[in-house]
Amino acid sequence: MTHTLDRRAFCIAMGLIGLRAASTDARAEDGTIRLGIVAPMSGPNSRYGSFSLRGAQLAAKEINDAGGIGGRKITIISGDSQGTPVEGVSATRRLIDLDKADFIIGDVSSSVTLALQPVVEDAGVLLLNAASSNPKITYGAGAGGFKWTFRNYPTDENRALVVIQYAAEKKGFTKFAVLSVDTDYGRAAVEFTKKYLPRFKGQILTEDYYKEGEVDFRSVLAKIRDSGAQAIIMYGLADTTPIVARQMIEVGVAGKIPLIGNAEFNTESTIKAAPKALEGAIEAAAWLPAWDSPKSKAFVEKFKAEYHGEMPNNHAYVHWETVRLLAKAIEAAGSGDRAKVRDALSKIKYDSAMGEVTFDDHNQARLPMILLEIEGGKPVIKGAYSAEIDYPR
Amino acid sequence: MSSNDLSLPAPRRDLRVLFGVALAAAACIAPLFLGNYGLHALIIALIFLLPAHGLNLLVGYTGLLSLAQAAFFGIGAYTSGLMAVRFGTPFYLNFLAAGLLAGAVALPLGIPALRLRATSFVMCTLGFVIIGQAIAKNWIGLTRGDMGLSGIPKPYFALGPASFTVSGTVSFYYLVLAIAVIATVAVYLIVRSAAGRNMIAIRENETLAESVGIPTWRYKLVVFMISAAFAGLGGSIYAHYLTVVSPLTFQMYYSTTMLIIVLGGGAGTISGVVFGSLLFVGLSEALRIAPEVRMIAYGLCLLALVFWFPKGFAPLMDRFWSFLKERK
Amino acid sequence: MLTMIAEQIVNGIVSGSVYAIVAVGMTMIFGVLRAINFAHGEYYMLGTFGAWFAIEYLELPYPVAIVIGVAATAVIAVVVGQFVMQRIVGAPPETGVLATLGIALVLQNTVILVFGGGYKFFSGGYIEPVSIFGFTLAEQRVLIIIVCMLVFVGLELMVTYSRFGKAMRAVSQNIECCAVVGIDVPQVALRTFILGACLAALSGVLTAPVNVSVYGGMGEIITFKTLPVIIMGGLGNVRGTFFAAMILGIAESLVATYVGLQFRDTVGFATLMLVLMWRPHGLFSMQARF
Repeated sequence: MTHTLDRRAFCIAMGLIGLRAASTDARAEDGTIRLGIVAPMSGPNSRYGSFSLRGAQLAAKEINDAGGIGGRKITIISGDSQGTPVEGVSATRRLIDLDKADFIIGDVSSSVTLALQPVVEDAGVLLLNAASSNPKITYGAGAGGFKWTFRNYPTDENRALVVIQYAAEKKGFTKFAVLSVDTDYGRAAVEFTKKYLPRFKGQILTEDYYKEGEVDFRSVLAKIRDSGAQAIIMYGLADTTPIVARQMIEVGVAGKIPLIGNAEFNTESTIKAAPKALEGAIEAAAWLPAWDSPKSKAFVEKFKAEYHGEMPNNHAYVHWETVRLLAKAIEAAGSGDRAKVRDALSKIKYDSAMGEVTFDDHNQARLPMILLEIEGGKPVIKGAYSAEIDYPR
Repeated sequence: MSSNDLSLPAPRRDLRVLFGVALAAAACIAPLFLGNYGLHALIIALIFLLPAHGLNLLVGYTGLLSLAQAAFFGIGAYTSGLMAVRFGTPFYLNFLAAGLLAGAVALPLGIPALRLRATSFVMCTLGFVIIGQAIAKNWIGLTRGDMGLSGIPKPYFALGPASFTVSGTVSFYYLVLAIAVIATVAVYLIVRSAAGRNMIAIRENETLAESVGIPTWRYKLVVFMISAAFAGLGGSIYAHYLTVVSPLTFQMYYSTTMLIIVLGGGAGTISGVVFGSLLFVGLSEALRIAPEVRMIAYGLCLLALVFWFPKGFAPLMDRFWSFLKERK
Repeated sequence: MLTMIAEQIVNGIVSGSVYAIVAVGMTMIFGVLRAINFAHGEYYMLGTFGAWFAIEYLELPYPVAIVIGVAATAVIAVVVGQFVMQRIVGAPPETGVLATLGIALVLQNTVILVFGGGYKFFSGGYIEPVSIFGFTLAEQRVLIIIVCMLVFVGLELMVTYSRFGKAMRAVSQNIECCAVVGIDVPQVALRTFILGACLAALSGVLTAPVNVSVYGGMGEIITFKTLPVIIMGGLGNVRGTFFAAMILGIAESLVATYVGLQFRDTVGFATLMLVLMWRPHGLFSMQARF
């Protein structure tokens, strides 16, 4: 008897969930500016999603505390893409249709962003990308077709060039081993590196890609140790770097073969995990906490104060900055009308913590890449480089 | 397993037909009262319905548990996507090619796999998905690996001089709906035929089926191929809907979702699978109201399903029909 | 060149030991419950989290943390076993698949909900490198190999001589007759399940120092690596599983070195499928069951 009771209760519960889910939110009409954040909140990239959301929320809080934009406050609604295109599209659709978001900032993974582009284009909703690095996104934006997509993040093409140039010219490296993450990010970055290698007389001796969640690098590192490579090209995940660093010590590679590329080498806790392995690492990042500008330092302090002393990472910063960028665009447009904001955005001259930001005709922001080297356990900034992108005709 | 459509007495069948017609009518006018998000959820449900039908033929009617659907789904998605991007072929060609290729690949895979006993077979089918993903990731020349295929064009139809493109969610919905209905009818015809009865015989008692002269081995292989073809067709629509195909299409999660749809809806019944597809995609989306606990709730629902509704929701529906019949 | 291969084989034996401890638990659970435990990797994860929690928040030393990690998992295993696993005995295979998948989802996401989804840093353990036969290994890895040997010897003895071991063998052979002889099948099933889960947890706790990162989703990969091992070893076959695990570990190591790291995860299933084509019953005959 209880069996049947449980089943009936279950069915009723299901029905209630269905009704609740289908009901449109009355607060859609509350007059605030509704901003959706699509990021991987669960899954292997959830770290990035968590930082991204917090960065955005911090910016919204600051703006709201200062009175909002023209009196209107910002409401942030988050959507979980889990790092896969299907979920990203579902979450975005829901944000647009049910939560009535006017503006979307998303995603971190490039493959998700690419899937979002047609969706927002059809819906006429502004998509601001703050963290994907695949150039294809902006090849197809602005004059390339998708008018509602903007990107406020430098591309991997720039990044790969900057890294390899420094390694070859300043360090004299010519033999490289590749150990990057097996995703579109890792693979694309290495492809771009290969494009520029001949220019610097470099060659790749071994090429390996690790799966997200891989924990055993001993075999590969032993192979690299014996191959004669002078540096390891790593475009990878922040969370895997400490593991690789530790095993580099185990295998006897630490201190002899530096890491170059980008995988949050500059994060304090990573360096602490295996200082010997990260000494001499070279990284090209869109931002790092040590960047010396008053706005940037202020952001770091505010983030730490808001989130119990935790240091912000790259993704927290770019999302924080992008929310502020959007706010400025809305102000410049004088209204929350999507088309007007979009136009304001393409003409904007925004004063960010990294310098002045403008958008080119493919809706790509002109941003520099910061090159840093780890010396004595601390990231030392060697310079900031920009490049004008060569769009395919 | 639960009853199948063949054993219904006449009055119940009339009711069901009536209900089916009502459902179809509701489906046709759905865009009038469902926003884009709702239509999106329906489209996803219908896309998954195709591989679920295929899996139902395998699990529900022939008694073979398989986790390989995601592999054929992925093959279909890549085939369709590659053809559209490289050759610019019209949709119906991509669609058919996806199904045919998936079915064809199933042949050399099925022959050795079907010799295995139940548990090993399940693992082998899982292996297909994993190997499929590895191939998609590493054969960069063909699939562009993780960078994926993007910019798959919207489905367009070209018949001689006339051509039109399906653009916009509503039109896409009707396209998918039409395909889903045709697929469901096709499965119904298969199941109602002599072949269908043979499949049920194999499921109930394979040795006995062999002894009365049914070529069980051939049946199992052909059903495996048909099931793969259905999955490939679903993959094709998926590719054109999302416009992006990546190696993530080959993931065990899709295989298990399809399995849940079949077992949860009611293996061995067609209406069960249709209902299951709508229910589970609906459930997955509805649970977004509580994002932090979404997957936990989904897991708990799975457990509830397994223990309280071991035959899926089909018996509930049967009770509903008999309830209505008594009322008459 | 030879030392290179030897080094990779040693690496392979290390990872093989990890797989072996996890896999033997899964294969025993299959032998008794006739269910593939898709949630098995989650117990590995739970053990690791338990130990991590003990070190981070309770500030206990590593050896104590090992005990806590395994104990915490045992408690959860008791709950899961009573409410879910026991009901799987005698049910059709689909039940086991879906139920364990459901458990995996619940366990994984509850941990993520409670502790957050980011990667945590495991700071305990013996990570100082030590030199053995000219290879440098972290001390922890030597510990893993030793524990693996002890576990298998212990299991051999238990299964052959102890009452519980004999009951396990009986249940795996013929459930109906067990009732005749007076063996409490649900109890045996429950205890086997707890034993299996604890072994997975033990493996997790021992590997955490060298794998460094702890996160909610780490169990899934372990489940995927272990499935081919238990099939190749022969379902329910303890000795076979040991050898299959070692073979897989070494194969993975060699492939990672000579073919490429990106193919490492496919070695398991690729090898499995080749083996199944050639010997459908697994590499080691079903005679040596338990």
